[in-house]
Amino acid sequence: MTFETMLSTMASGMLKTGLIFVLTLIGSLPLGMIVALLHKSRFFIVRKFISIYISIIRGTPLMLQLLVWYFGPFYLFGWNIGNWRFPAIIVAFVVNYAAYFAEIYRGGIESIPQGQYEAAQVLGYSKFQTFMRIILPQVVKIILPSVTNEVITLVKDTSMAFTLAYAEVFSLAKQISASQSSFMPFLIAGVFYFVANYVVEFIMKRIEKSMDYYK
Amino acid sequence: MILEMNNIQKEFDGLEVLKDISFGVDSGEVVSIIGPSGSGKSTLLRCATFLETIDGGEIIYMGDKAARTGEDGKAVYAGPQEMKKFRSYCGLVFQQFNLFPHYSILKNITDAPIKVQGKSKDEAEANARELLKKMGIEDKADAYPFQLSGGQQQRVAIARALAMKPEILFFDEPTSALDPELTGEVLKVIKQLADEKMTMVVVTHEMPFAKAVSDRVIFMDGGVIVEQGAPKDVLGNPSEERTQQFLRVFER
Repeated sequence: MTFETMLSTMASGMLKTGLIFVLTLIGSLPLGMIVALLHKSRFFIVRKFISIYISIIRGTPLMLQLLVWYFGPFYLFGWNIGNWRFPAIIVAFVVNYAAYFAEIYRGGIESIPQGQYEAAQVLGYSKFQTFMRIILPQVVKIILPSVTNEVITLVKDTSMAFTLAYAEVFSLAKQISASQSSFMPFLIAGVFYFVANYVVEFIMKRIEKSMDYYK
Repeated sequence: MILEMNNIQKEFDGLEVLKDISFGVDSGEVVSIIGPSGSGKSTLLRCATFLETIDGGEIIYMGDKAARTGEDGKAVYAGPQEMKKFRSYCGLVFQQFNLFPHYSILKNITDAPIKVQGKSKDEAEANARELLKKMGIEDKADAYPFQLSGGQQQRVAIARALAMKPEILFFDEPTSALDPELTGEVLKVIKQLADEKMTMVVVTHEMPFAKAVSDRVIFMDGGVIVEQGAPKDVLGNPSEERTQQFLRVFER
């Protein structure tokens, strides 16, 4: 197999990796905010549920979570869901990353001084306005570096879809390397992840810089 | 009467912070509240501006009851729609300014009038620039809070409160977080507002200032009003022993 064929075979895997990455972010960034807000709910039962969810997600390997989401419906409930492989991957990633993002958001929200809420309240802002106009913009600036970290981790974590034999870059690299007795696929995969993260870092730095106008 | 507070009671975790406090503020009146820390001055302001809820008593703004004592002896507040109106009557200037750091000075002042009161952008901005001019910082409209000195930030906070056109403006130790050389510029604008007959209640430790601008001084200690009256009486010739004790500290 020539280098070109290898590359073009792996290109389809890169697309799939990119798809996991994008869908996970689209799902988990907003879901994390909902989880963070529910974590501050005034109902004890809701707070308890959220904290159990977060500790299970953080306390078990993502690889195991992938297997549970994929096989769970059948073994636990006897459901046979057609074409479940890809949805199971996305659900597992979104649910996992939402928990981590929620903790980042929570830290950010808690670091906003009480005086900001009070000033907004005295000025007559509604609770929703206070959150959207006063609190959230400041939270975003504070959490950006931590979010960048998570996003970079996500780029590399997509390789765990390999567990469910999903043909993303890492699975393909391993497969091609075995069949061709070649080290090259691993190098290609390595360069791919590195470049992807280089781009992530570049974009996040730009966003951070755009918020440098205040302290 | 702009504001009447009757028999206000407030406790935190069993500790009585306000014990049956009653006082009123007339239109155009400037009232200073003095007293040692922990006397309940700030809590009283926070109750008047609805940042804290009272446990018992009445809060009456412009003749309408915002809070009253219910049949079970606990305070009952008006409904959310009415509370909006009551909140719009009062403004508060904080010790720590609490400007919004991500908004420019102009936006700090215009955002609430536009988003809360529904004013047009042009109207709100014109009003904000006028207020900034009055505060002597019209050149700072496009700056951000972190670029301003404490005294300038506090003047922006005053402008922000005034932009909502409150009936009464409360100040919670407005100069306590400032370097001594910056307090003057803030006190000057408060004095100017007093001259314009703005109704104000000022919690302060600046005795000469209290003497110069107030129509009435209230001395609080231990959650009660110990003494109140004209500044020359309360500050110059206090009748209560506790007031004399407190003021002696400032003479030193």
